[in-house]
Amino acid sequence: MSIPTLQGLQTALSGLIAEQAALDVTGNNITNSDTEGYSRETAVLEPNTPIAIPAISSQTGNGAQLGTGVSVATITRVRNTYLDAQYRTQNSALSAASTQAEELTQAQATFNEPSSSGLANALSAFWSAWSSLANAPTSEATKQGVVASGQQVTGILHELSTQLSTVSTQAGQQYAAITGPAGEVQDDANQIAQLNGQIRLAEQAGQQPSEMLDRRDLLLDKLSSLAQVTVTKQPDGTDTVSFGDAAKPLVEGTTVNWPQTLTEAAGGKLGALLNLTGPGGALASYQASLDNVAATLASTVNALHTSTPFFSGTTAATIAVAVSAAQVQTSSTADAGGNDVAQAIAALRGGTTEQSYASLIEQVGSGVQAAQDEQSNLKTTVTAIENQRQSVSGVSLDEEMTNLISFQRGYQASARTLTAMDSMLETLIEHTGVAGL
Amino acid sequence: MVTSTTLNDINSSLAALERTSNELSSGKTILEPSDNPYGASRVIDLQSQLDGLSSYATNAQEGISWENTASSAMSNMGNVLQSVRGLLVQASSGTYSQSDRESIATEVEQLTEAVKQDADTQYAGQYVFSGTKTTTAPYEPGSEDAYQGDTGTVTRAVGPGLSVNVSTDISSLLGNGQGSGDGKLLDTLRTISEHLRGGSAEDVSALNSTDLKNLEASIDTLSQLQATAGSATDQLQTAVSRIEGLQSSITAALSNTDDADIAQTSIEYSNEQAAYSAALRAGASIVQESLLQFLQ
Repeated sequence: MSIPTLQGLQTALSGLIAEQAALDVTGNNITNSDTEGYSRETAVLEPNTPIAIPAISSQTGNGAQLGTGVSVATITRVRNTYLDAQYRTQNSALSAASTQAEELTQAQATFNEPSSSGLANALSAFWSAWSSLANAPTSEATKQGVVASGQQVTGILHELSTQLSTVSTQAGQQYAAITGPAGEVQDDANQIAQLNGQIRLAEQAGQQPSEMLDRRDLLLDKLSSLAQVTVTKQPDGTDTVSFGDAAKPLVEGTTVNWPQTLTEAAGGKLGALLNLTGPGGALASYQASLDNVAATLASTVNALHTSTPFFSGTTAATIAVAVSAAQVQTSSTADAGGNDVAQAIAALRGGTTEQSYASLIEQVGSGVQAAQDEQSNLKTTVTAIENQRQSVSGVSLDEEMTNLISFQRGYQASARTLTAMDSMLETLIEHTGVAGL
Repeated sequence: MVTSTTLNDINSSLAALERTSNELSSGKTILEPSDNPYGASRVIDLQSQLDGLSSYATNAQEGISWENTASSAMSNMGNVLQSVRGLLVQASSGTYSQSDRESIATEVEQLTEAVKQDADTQYAGQYVFSGTKTTTAPYEPGSEDAYQGDTGTVTRAVGPGLSVNVSTDISSLLGNGQGSGDGKLLDTLRTISEHLRGGSAEDVSALNSTDLKNLEASIDTLSQLQATAGSATDQLQTAVSRIEGLQSSITAALSNTDDADIAQTSIEYSNEQAAYSAALRAGASIVQESLLQFLQ
């Protein structure tokens, strides 16, 4: 058996077809170079089955195999699932830290410290008012000043308390919106379940649905910012997605299990929101510390202001000045000029009330600082992983351009082979005598 | 990838630049507690200490004014007592007639009223010699001579746990008048005018002996009271200068904690500005580079 005469044409044609397919893949990569979540695709070429030629050499009589060209085996997307898992873990942590930093910064802003309009300044003015009263214990105007500066202090305490609970309420609302029936979790889970179904069908038909896989991975990335996401790849092409610390998988095949209960351990934005608003969370602890400041203020002043309690209420939200200017007590005796009480209250300056407030501010500041530091560290990590992921799956225009040249040249060369074959056959057919004519 | 890295770098340069620019324009390094949590609580503490010191300084100045008022009243009393003493010495000499003594008695009675008026001196609406009954005049002019105040003390706080007594117990000098027979100044003055008007030889001799002795005892008591008031003023003045010293050291501490070092911050600012424009320039040129440019 010898080589089929027209085999060369077929071989050259297979080259033309394969190079064209590879060029198409490159073109698709280039057009999607800025598409979010797109993974680079490559055309995997493989040689066609060769023809066995039993005795090509007349001298040795040994056989050989002749290649019959190339074909596109498959078009695969380039993706590293290990990097995806790593990215999602770190992205959850980053999202938790960002949420923490964002909410705590908002809480911090309500304190408005250090400034001339915060509680520290109002407290200072309150002690100064008592000090002035000690100098002029009979002055009605000064007593009025004491009451007014006391009201200033309680007013700021009320406002701080209200704003802290507003921050907490808003965080709760945010959680409810995300996990609600029209929320992001439900929406993303539905889309993933739908894609699971379509991918299963495509894979059953022997296709690789790259675009759908990319879309599913992008949705999983999005979910990972809400809570920890663990993906288990099933043999049928579907992904089983466990979400946070929910008892059942969020998506299993085409089934969505939502709503479910999450706890602070869920990670991501949702875990951070639960952590912040929980009973042991940062916001509750700030509120408790603020209540402690109010209670300390009330108890220390009332202990000295023995005629009638100066402050009523023991929490930041309820504390109020309970006396009128005429009821302000300056002395432990009935004497008009006595100032021992006023002096004793003025001497509370710098005492436990301010110390507990200063330590609250330190606590708030450290909380924000720690969250911001964690956020910026994790950002670096996530960026590094994302870069690694991009270096695997991202479209590099330089690389695509090089491929473009290589495939174009490959196409041209295959065409040239075709021309050579043609001219060879022309020689055979046109110029080998006139026998048979 | 290059694009996102470049964008990150540009953003972080810009954030640093913004931060430094805020520090420069506010002059503070701690804009929020999270910038320096310990520093922020320290600022609150130091600011409270500063406010406390200015309260103490106000108290001390108030005390000094109070003592100045009391001292000038007492020095008026001293002048009066010296006049009475002079009159007493003149009246006890034999050359004075009874009618002369009667007119001296009238003068002594007027001076007695002057002493009581001095005792009723007020500072900022408060009677300085009434103890803690600062709304009650210590002596009622024209009527009986009983002391209306109390022996309570008025103090001014000039430091933590440190207060200065600004009260002067004027009743130890003036006493409760003739009715009480306590031998204090008002008793003595009333007795002197009685002796002047009495005119008997015993009365006249009493003027020169017991009355003069009692009057001189009162002059001594007055100088003691003046010395006490003077030392209180000294204490208050010492407190003022101590407070001023503390104020400047705490202000320095506050400035070290919270104030931006303008020279250093300005240099940082220009460094960051240079870094930012370099990042922008790099972004503009790097991101454009691609193999595409070199293919025909």
